[in-house]
Amino acid sequence: MDIAFLIESLAKVLIVLGFVLLGVPLIVWMERKVLGHMQDRIGPERVGPFGLLQTIADGIKLFMKEDLVPAQADKVVFILAPAITVITALVALTVIPWGDQVTILGRTVPLHIADVNVALLFVLATTSMGVYGIVLGGWASNSKYPLLGGLRSSAQMISYELAQGISLVSVVLLAGTLSLAQIARQQAHMWYVVPQFFGFLIYVISGIAETNRAPFDLPEAETELVAGFHTEYSSMKWAFYFLGEYANMMVVSGIAITVFLGGWHGPVLPSVAWFLIKLTLFLFFYIWLRATFPRLRYDQLMGFGWKVLLPASLLNLVVTAAVVAL
Amino acid sequence: MLIPAFLFAMFAGVAIGCAVGMVFHRNPVHCALLLVGVLLSISGLFILLNASFLAALQVLVYAGAIMVLFLFVLMLLNIRGESPLLTRGAAKGFGILFAIVVFVELLWTVLSPQVEPGGMAASPSVPRSFGSPAAIGRVLYTVWLYPFEITSILLLIAVIGAVVLAKRKFG
Repeated sequence: MDIAFLIESLAKVLIVLGFVLLGVPLIVWMERKVLGHMQDRIGPERVGPFGLLQTIADGIKLFMKEDLVPAQADKVVFILAPAITVITALVALTVIPWGDQVTILGRTVPLHIADVNVALLFVLATTSMGVYGIVLGGWASNSKYPLLGGLRSSAQMISYELAQGISLVSVVLLAGTLSLAQIARQQAHMWYVVPQFFGFLIYVISGIAETNRAPFDLPEAETELVAGFHTEYSSMKWAFYFLGEYANMMVVSGIAITVFLGGWHGPVLPSVAWFLIKLTLFLFFYIWLRATFPRLRYDQLMGFGWKVLLPASLLNLVVTAAVVAL
Repeated sequence: MLIPAFLFAMFAGVAIGCAVGMVFHRNPVHCALLLVGVLLSISGLFILLNASFLAALQVLVYAGAIMVLFLFVLMLLNIRGESPLLTRGAAKGFGILFAIVVFVELLWTVLSPQVEPGGMAASPSVPRSFGSPAAIGRVLYTVWLYPFEITSILLLIAVIGAVVLAKRKFG
């Protein structure tokens, strides 16, 4: 544990943290702009050039607002819940490699915060802890709509987590490792999306359900549940849920890129640039889906998860295992 | 050796603190959360023991899946002050009995000759692959194949049993 390693890790932590905190307002801006143009509107344009500072202004507004805790709420859990959402998302980001290793001052620096040999399991474990943020937020509000929203999301996330995990296992069978850095390195010549296209589809669908995004945003279906689990939340605590949701989108996209879409590999441009390009495209895909599909009904969502997605992912796993064994 | 010792003290302290809190807390949801705290700190201890695979599984399975279902049930039933299963005296008796059994068991394990006293300091002899997914998988599918398969059949039986019970029409 030398000093250089400590400085290096600290620098990388700060870079990733800064990227998330600056990236989320940018993604929100992109979402509003893209949605606007897809719906034949222009989106935000007043604050800053192209409306770029709109989300920053919104953030400052949220920061200045009064911090409300409902009188009947469970105060400790109510405050803890949004923090859990953000922390789990940030912790999951530590193992995602965002570039090839670089040499700085004669030191080889791998561009991820930590190379855990069970990185993929680590990500699944932290995202499974993310459920708590939403469930507890719903419960601690002590009000009926948040409770229903929280219960819905816990059921949804547990169901889709299974299909998501199993679709990733198929790639692990091909790669022979759970380390994300090594999986990314192996895809120099062929991305795993080619042999595992079916697994990729399952992963993307369950990833969208996992992050509670449209068309799977049932926990916050406004027509039936007001705002779902965060109905009682306001000001910065609400902003934390927002931040957590977008950070989770980054995690799901980052895993999709690392595991299926060749990681940071790409011609001509440096590796970090390729990672960022792929990340932007994937997030654009998220927004595109939101503008395209209406929300599913809840029983359809659960039925689809258990009766279609889970058997499909198991079938994919069995076929992959058979091919690998031959 | 200072940092592992500090981390061990931290994880162990949090685990014990959460466990004590879980026993004494009144609100069932708070108890469940404290149990999650215990499980997370134990997974930290697993990492210190070089068993990162076990640590990840501990979080994924126990803290991430099973405890969420616990919470689910607690929230749906919304139990505030639950009625005790046993009378106070009987509960106390069972508690003392189990405490003695666990204490003797732990004492026996610690004092048995296979484990060196002060296990942390004696750890460098462990091979590098110890606790890796490959090593665990190899042992699980060779030495412990039958217990492993029997356990999975047992779980399958439990799942089918749950479905049968849930589908049964009452009255």
